[in-house]
Amino acid sequence: MSGFLRRFLVAAALWALATPALAQTSSGDAKHLGVESCAGNNCHGAVKPLPGSHVPQNEYFIWSQKDKHAQAYAVLSNDRSKLIARNLGLADATTAPLCLDCHADNVPPDRRGPQFQLSDGVGCEACHGGAEAWLGTHLSGYNHKANLAAGLYPTDNAAARGARCMSCHIGDNQRFLTHTMMGAGHPPTPFELDTYTAIEPAHFVVDQSYIERKGQPNDMAIWAVGQAVSVKLRMDLILSPKHAPKGLDLELSLFDCQSCHHSMKELQWRSNADTGLPPGHIRFFDANAAMLAIAAGQVKSVPGSEIVKHMVALQAALDKNWDAVKSEAAALKNAADQLIPSLADHDWTRADAIDLAHGVVGSVLDGNDLGYSGAQQQVMALESIVAAMKQLGFADSQQLAALNDAMAPLYTAVADDQTYDPDKYKQALTAFNAAVPQ
Amino acid sequence: MTGRLLAALLLLIAPMPVLAQAQSPAPAQPQSQSAPPPIGVHLGVATCAGSTCHGATERPRGSYVPGNEYLIWSSQDKHRNAYNVLLDDRAVKMARALGLPDAAHQKICLDCHADNVPQNLRGPQFQLSDGIDCEACHGGASGWLGIHISGATHAQNVAAGLYPTEQPIARAEKCLGCHYGDSTRFASHQLYGAGHPRLTFELDTYTAIEPAHFVVDQGYIERKGRITDVQVWAVGQAIALVKRMDAVLNPAHAPKGFWPEFAFFDCQSCHHEYGGYARATTTGLGPGTVKFNDANEVMLKVIAQRVAPQAAGELQGHMMALHKATIDDWVAVEREAGGVKTAAQSLVDSLAHHDFTGDDMRSMADALIGIAGSDEVFSHDEQITMALESLTTALKASGDIGDKQASALDNAMKAVLAAFPNDQIVHQDAFVKALKGVQQAMRK
Repeated sequence: MSGFLRRFLVAAALWALATPALAQTSSGDAKHLGVESCAGNNCHGAVKPLPGSHVPQNEYFIWSQKDKHAQAYAVLSNDRSKLIARNLGLADATTAPLCLDCHADNVPPDRRGPQFQLSDGVGCEACHGGAEAWLGTHLSGYNHKANLAAGLYPTDNAAARGARCMSCHIGDNQRFLTHTMMGAGHPPTPFELDTYTAIEPAHFVVDQSYIERKGQPNDMAIWAVGQAVSVKLRMDLILSPKHAPKGLDLELSLFDCQSCHHSMKELQWRSNADTGLPPGHIRFFDANAAMLAIAAGQVKSVPGSEIVKHMVALQAALDKNWDAVKSEAAALKNAADQLIPSLADHDWTRADAIDLAHGVVGSVLDGNDLGYSGAQQQVMALESIVAAMKQLGFADSQQLAALNDAMAPLYTAVADDQTYDPDKYKQALTAFNAAVPQ
Repeated sequence: MTGRLLAALLLLIAPMPVLAQAQSPAPAQPQSQSAPPPIGVHLGVATCAGSTCHGATERPRGSYVPGNEYLIWSSQDKHRNAYNVLLDDRAVKMARALGLPDAAHQKICLDCHADNVPQNLRGPQFQLSDGIDCEACHGGASGWLGIHISGATHAQNVAAGLYPTEQPIARAEKCLGCHYGDSTRFASHQLYGAGHPRLTFELDTYTAIEPAHFVVDQGYIERKGRITDVQVWAVGQAIALVKRMDAVLNPAHAPKGFWPEFAFFDCQSCHHEYGGYARATTTGLGPGTVKFNDANEVMLKVIAQRVAPQAAGELQGHMMALHKATIDDWVAVEREAGGVKTAAQSLVDSLAHHDFTGDDMRSMADALIGIAGSDEVFSHDEQITMALESLTTALKASGDIGDKQASALDNAMKAVLAAFPNDQIVHQDAFVKALKGVQQAMRK
C-alpha cells in the first residue's frame, strides 16, 4: 500500500468518526475574492501542470472533490444540522454566526469580493488569507516570500498552520465547540496537525521546487509544533473567562470525552501517574500535553517532566477552585509557548525519530494510560514519525514496509471509541515497537 | 412469575447488586460483668436452617410457610453470595483501585455485602461469610427465636424484635438502605469508577426476582394482611425518593470544588455513545447538561397524580427547580431536595394503605407509557418497565382480569423486556411499540 493511500485510509477511519470540516478566515482586513479567483485553468484549476509551473495546479480540484472543507457549508443544510440548530434554538444553521464561523469563510460582508460565495464553505482564502492584497504579487512572479509579505498566510510554517487549523479544530477566543453544541448533536473534533494535513488531503506536493521555495518540511516537527500549539490553545480555552464555571456548570468540552462517554460494562479505571486521578473522576483533555511531554524530551527548552507535573496539578486543581485550575493552565501555556520555537527550529534527525517512536510506545507499554483519546493521539504521532522516516530517508524500503504493516492494526484498534479494546491496542503497539529500526 | 423471572434475566444481565444489610443496631456498649446480654444478637443462618424449620425440602405438616426458605436463599438468591463476590477478581481490582488491601475485610464493602453487625452481636454460629443472611433482613433473632418456634403470632414475633419485612414501608427502608444507601452506606461515583456495577432498584420487582422465599396464600394473608404489589411499588418509589434526597442533603456528598457527587446523576446521561443524535431533554436544561436522576420522582409523580394531585404538583415544582440548581448552586439543590423529600414523605403512609383499583392501575400504566413515548431517558424506561411488571402482577392478583387476558399481558410484557438488549441500553422504537401492546392487553 502506498504511503498516500495508507494516509488516505486514515482519513476514512478518523474522519468517519468525526468530521471537522472547518477552518476560518484570516486576520487582516483584505477582501476575500472567492474561490473562483483561484480556480482558473491556468492557475490552481488546471487538469495538469503547465510547463514551468512550481505547483501541480490541481489544488482546486483536490479541494473541491476530496476535501471536506469544500462541504463545510453544505453540511449545515443536512438533517443533522437542522436537528442541532433546533436543539440550540437557532432558526437556521446556514445563517447562524455560531455555525458559519467555522463552516464557512465568514468574513464581514464588506470584506467579501464580488465573486465571494459563503456557500463555498472553507474556501481557499479561509486558510490562505484574503487575496485582495497579494493576488497581484502572487500572479506576477511566484516569489513565496514576497507573497507572504503582501499578506499570504504562511501555511507552510508549522506554528502558523497549527494556529490556523486549530482555531476551528480546537477553538480559539471567538470560536469554540461547547458541550452544549455537542449535546445538541455536533460530533467531537479530534485533531493532529501533521496527520490532518495529510488526510485533508494535502493539495501541495513536496518536491524540489517546494523545498527551494519553502524549505524541507519535516513531519516530526509539524507534529511536535502542532502538539505545542494544541496545548497552548487548550490552555487559552481554560483561561478564557467565557469558559469559567458558572455556578456548578463546568464547560465539559474542556474534558476528555471518554472520561465520561464510555460504556459501564468494562472496568475502565487504571492507576495512572500521568493524571494522578482517583476512580470515577472527570479528566481534563490531556492527550496533547502527554504528546508534548514526549516531544519536549528531544529539545532543551522545557523538560517533559514539567509538562507532566503541571498537567497532574491541573487535574487535581478541579477539586480545589478555578483559580488553582487557571494557575496550572497558565504554567502549561507558558511551557508550550517556550516549546513552539525550539520544536520548530530543532533539527529532527533519524535518532529523534527512533527516540520519539520508543517514547510514544513506551508511554503506553511502560505506563498505564490506555485511554482512547490518548491512543488516538499516539497512533497519529506514530503515523507522523513514519511519514518523516520515509520523507527524509531514515529507513530503507524494507523497514518502511514493516512499519507500514505495523501501522494498520493500530488504526483498526483506534477506529471507533465504542469498539476500542486497550488489550488489542497494546498488542498492536508491541508489534509496532518491534518494527522500529535500530 | 415467568415474566418477572425474564425481567430478572434481561434487566439484570449485568452484575446484579447483591446488597442489603441489617438495620444498624445500637452501638455496642462496653460491658461490665453485671451488664445484661446485648439485645438482637445475630445467631447465624444455621439456627434458621433446621430441616423442620426453614431448611425443609417440602412443607412441614401444619406449617404456615413452605419451609424451604433456606434452600431458596442458599441456592437461588444472590444475597447468599454477597460476601463471596468480595473475593473474586473484580472485587480485588476494585479494592486496589480504591487503595484498599482487599474487599473482604473492609467496612465500606462489608456493610452491604455481609450482615456486618458488631462483634458483640454475633452469636456462636454466626458467619460473616454467609453474606446477606436471614438476620440481615429479619433482624437479630436472640430476642424472638424462642417465641417464634413456640407458636407465637406474627404480631408477637414482631413485638419481640422480628423485622416486619412484609410491611411495604419497613421493607423499603431495609432493602433501600443498601440498594440505594443511607446515612452511613452509599455507592459513590468513586466506587462506581473503581468498577462497582450500577445500582438500580424497584422494591416490588426486586422482591419478586430475589426470588421471594415467601408464598402469599391464605395463611399468609390471615397472619400478615393483604398487601398488593401496587402498594409495594408505590411505597418503594416514595421511600427511594426520600433516601435519594437524604443523600443529597448529606454534607458528606456536597461537591468537592467543581466536582459534584456524580452518583446522583443519571448514569446514561454521560455514559452513552456520542455517535448518535442528541436526545430530547426533560429537565428544562439545555443540551449537553448532566441530568440528575429523577426516575423515582417521575414514577412517584405518576402515582400522586392519581391519588394526591397536590403532592404531584409539589414534586414537579421542586424537582424542576432542583434540575436547574444542579448547574447553578448546591445550596439551592439542597433546598429543593428538602422540598422533594417533604412531598415524598407526605405520601408514604397513604400509599401503603391506598386501595388501588383496576382503573387506578390502568390510568397509571397509561401515564407511564405516555412518558416512555415522549422522552428517551434510560433510567425512566427501566423504572417504567419494572412499574408495569408490578401493575401487571397486581392486576392479575386482583382478579380484575381473567386468565386469558393475564396470559396476553404476560406476552406483551415479554416484548417490553426484549427491547433491553442489556442493562445499559434500550431499543427505543421496539420499546415504545411493545408498550403499546401492553396498553392494549391491559384494557378492560
